[in-house]
Amino acid sequence: MMMQHYPILAIMTYFLGAFLIVIFGKARAIRNAVGFLATAVPLCLLIMLVKPVMMNGEIIAYWMGGRVPAGGYAIGIALEVDALSLFFGLLIATAVFAAMLYSFSYMSHDDNEPQYYTLFLMLCGGVMGLVLSGDLFNMFIMVEILTFAAVALTAFRNTVFGALEAAFKYLVVGSIGSSCILAGTIMLYAQAHTLNFAQLSAMIPGNLNVATMVAYALLFIGFCTKAFLVPFHPLAADAHGAAPAPVSVLISGVLTKSGLYGIIRLTYILFRTMNLGSVQFWLVFLGSVSMFVCVTMALAQHDFKRLLAFHSISQIGYVLTAAGLATALGVSAGLYHAMNHTLFKGLLFLCAGAVLHETGTTDLDKLGGLSKKMPQTTVLFLVGAFSISGIPPFNGFASKWLIYQATYQKAVESGNIGFVLVTICCLVTSTLTLASFVKVTQSVFFGQLPKEYENVREVSFGMRLAMGLLALLCIVTGLFPGLVTSFLTEPAARAVFGANTYINAMMGAGYAEGFGLVDALPVSFLSVGVWSPISWLCLLMIMLLAVAIVAVSTKYDQVSALARTAAAEEAAAAAGPRYGSGSLAEGKYELFFGGEETVFSQVGGDDMFWGFKHNWRHYFSFMHNLHSGIVNDYSLWAVIALALAMLYAIIVL
Amino acid sequence: MILLNYMASFFLIVLGLYCIVCKYDLMKSVIGLSIMDYGVNLLIITIGFNPGGTAPIYTFGELKPESFFVDPIPQALTLTSIVIGACVTAMSLSLVIKLKEMYGTTDTHEIRRLRG
Repeated sequence: MMMQHYPILAIMTYFLGAFLIVIFGKARAIRNAVGFLATAVPLCLLIMLVKPVMMNGEIIAYWMGGRVPAGGYAIGIALEVDALSLFFGLLIATAVFAAMLYSFSYMSHDDNEPQYYTLFLMLCGGVMGLVLSGDLFNMFIMVEILTFAAVALTAFRNTVFGALEAAFKYLVVGSIGSSCILAGTIMLYAQAHTLNFAQLSAMIPGNLNVATMVAYALLFIGFCTKAFLVPFHPLAADAHGAAPAPVSVLISGVLTKSGLYGIIRLTYILFRTMNLGSVQFWLVFLGSVSMFVCVTMALAQHDFKRLLAFHSISQIGYVLTAAGLATALGVSAGLYHAMNHTLFKGLLFLCAGAVLHETGTTDLDKLGGLSKKMPQTTVLFLVGAFSISGIPPFNGFASKWLIYQATYQKAVESGNIGFVLVTICCLVTSTLTLASFVKVTQSVFFGQLPKEYENVREVSFGMRLAMGLLALLCIVTGLFPGLVTSFLTEPAARAVFGANTYINAMMGAGYAEGFGLVDALPVSFLSVGVWSPISWLCLLMIMLLAVAIVAVSTKYDQVSALARTAAAEEAAAAAGPRYGSGSLAEGKYELFFGGEETVFSQVGGDDMFWGFKHNWRHYFSFMHNLHSGIVNDYSLWAVIALALAMLYAIIVL
Repeated sequence: MILLNYMASFFLIVLGLYCIVCKYDLMKSVIGLSIMDYGVNLLIITIGFNPGGTAPIYTFGELKPESFFVDPIPQALTLTSIVIGACVTAMSLSLVIKLKEMYGTTDTHEIRRLRG
């Protein structure tokens, strides 16, 4: 049947496109045509697989060269596409397509364009090969391909501030991660004497010992490196800041997804350890820490793309938290958020790229007022910002809402109060996300327009088309959450919990049952529906009352406020300079709204939320010092994470 | 004998990691990466080794149930891994050259413009 060949064709189209561009890429028309086809064709192929795989629940097992398993042993290399693989494949193909459309005009001023498109398509092929593969060693090869391509693309504009440095750091820590994956793979091979995913997932869960647990920790840390989860997040920030905007889309929307896919595949299907409370705690803890640390790091940033990069990892934290709950609703919510993350983060990075393309900078302190010159980009950016902050009609709301429901439901089901704290952590992170996007919107698109940007124009049609495509998808997936969950995320979540189906599709019917494996968890997508409008209304009334009481009881007194300012100035002059760029002596931190001097000044990125940042200055300066930018420190974090994961795996499991 | 191999491979991996973490020079980081790669390669080869086995080169006629040979798959994996290791070294060295041109040093404590 023709359908069996679609996955391999999708992977090969990317690689074929890459090689064709090497040979014929000198002419722009040919290069763009090949690039367009090489990204459009896999997208179409994967969309054609939606009906059989997502709706009918088929699993496509493809043995390269027709080498089917003999005597219960997989001897060939396989591709296996279930709903989970296809879900991630579709995300990747969509993001890559939009990034390619954007690249045509965005990269047209760079030299070495053929090399750019070659690396771009190699990266796409690597990620696609990883998510569709059914072979552990093949996954390692694809990980290496995508790491190399990503490193090379990070350093592509090697004259940009910090590009080479970011690439080197990424290469060193990324290679440690890749070596971990290889070592984990080979340790599993030593135990089971196979590399096929289906066969491994039949053999490993019944034979958990120290060696397999160490392999588990190694593979887990390896995929964490690819997803840039918490000890590895500085790499993402560095890489995003230096890479061209379409590459940022690939790194945040596509590369991190490959890491997430690896973690989900590993924990749910290969080892089936998700029914253990310790593994759930591990994933939820890591996810919560990632989302909180990265969102606070983002608040302190002054660079547009670096800020977006930290937010990107923060959203990945959401996905991991939801996936770590080990409930069907949680996995479905996590996958929904993974999809939304690809869409809105891609959109935001492309908007940042548009700003960079027109103004030549991404420094938040220099930009301002661009909405007058780039109205369409502003609207598209707002769509992305609303989506990531979780404002109702957009897609971020739907998935975040499901995540809150899932974490709360987990707390109700397991009776563990810790999961309520996770819900609160998710809510706080979402609020801080909104806060920092208010900051970005204000300091880039609103406020005063600096003189040097008087001649800025709207970006070209091709770039707006790519951004519009992603914005449209953000709105559509937000308006019809029911369709998304029933056609995309719920089949994928069923695949996550249906490991036996996965094994049997590959190795023959009854193979998994022969190892005494059963799919333990019942799959239910019902949410508890923790939603009571009346209590929210009461809360609103109480808040309004509180504000009213405060407003009436402490009447604003101009004279005493000025007196307090004067006293504070004297105190500040005595104490010397304080945290932040401005000091108290300027009156900047005393009166936010009033005052002759501040009325006409731009409200910069630093001025907003200064009170919050001032109160948290110890935390922020601690984090700033921790992210030292020295490659040795980041490697040390990787080694510590690896050691902790191994210890945890051996002791607790 | 085989235990010595395992110990050597883990020693090489740890040595490589030590080199990456504790040596403040880009070149030494690259060397550390290579040493770690060699350690992993040695581990792979050791896992595929059967004491007393012959080389796994047979035609279908020669292959009998009693023939005893070392596992061929890890050897294939090692070849791939060696190629990838060479690529890592080449790419990181080219980055080191560019970094040296731009920053004028290979000290990792000097190359830290991106931080915080």
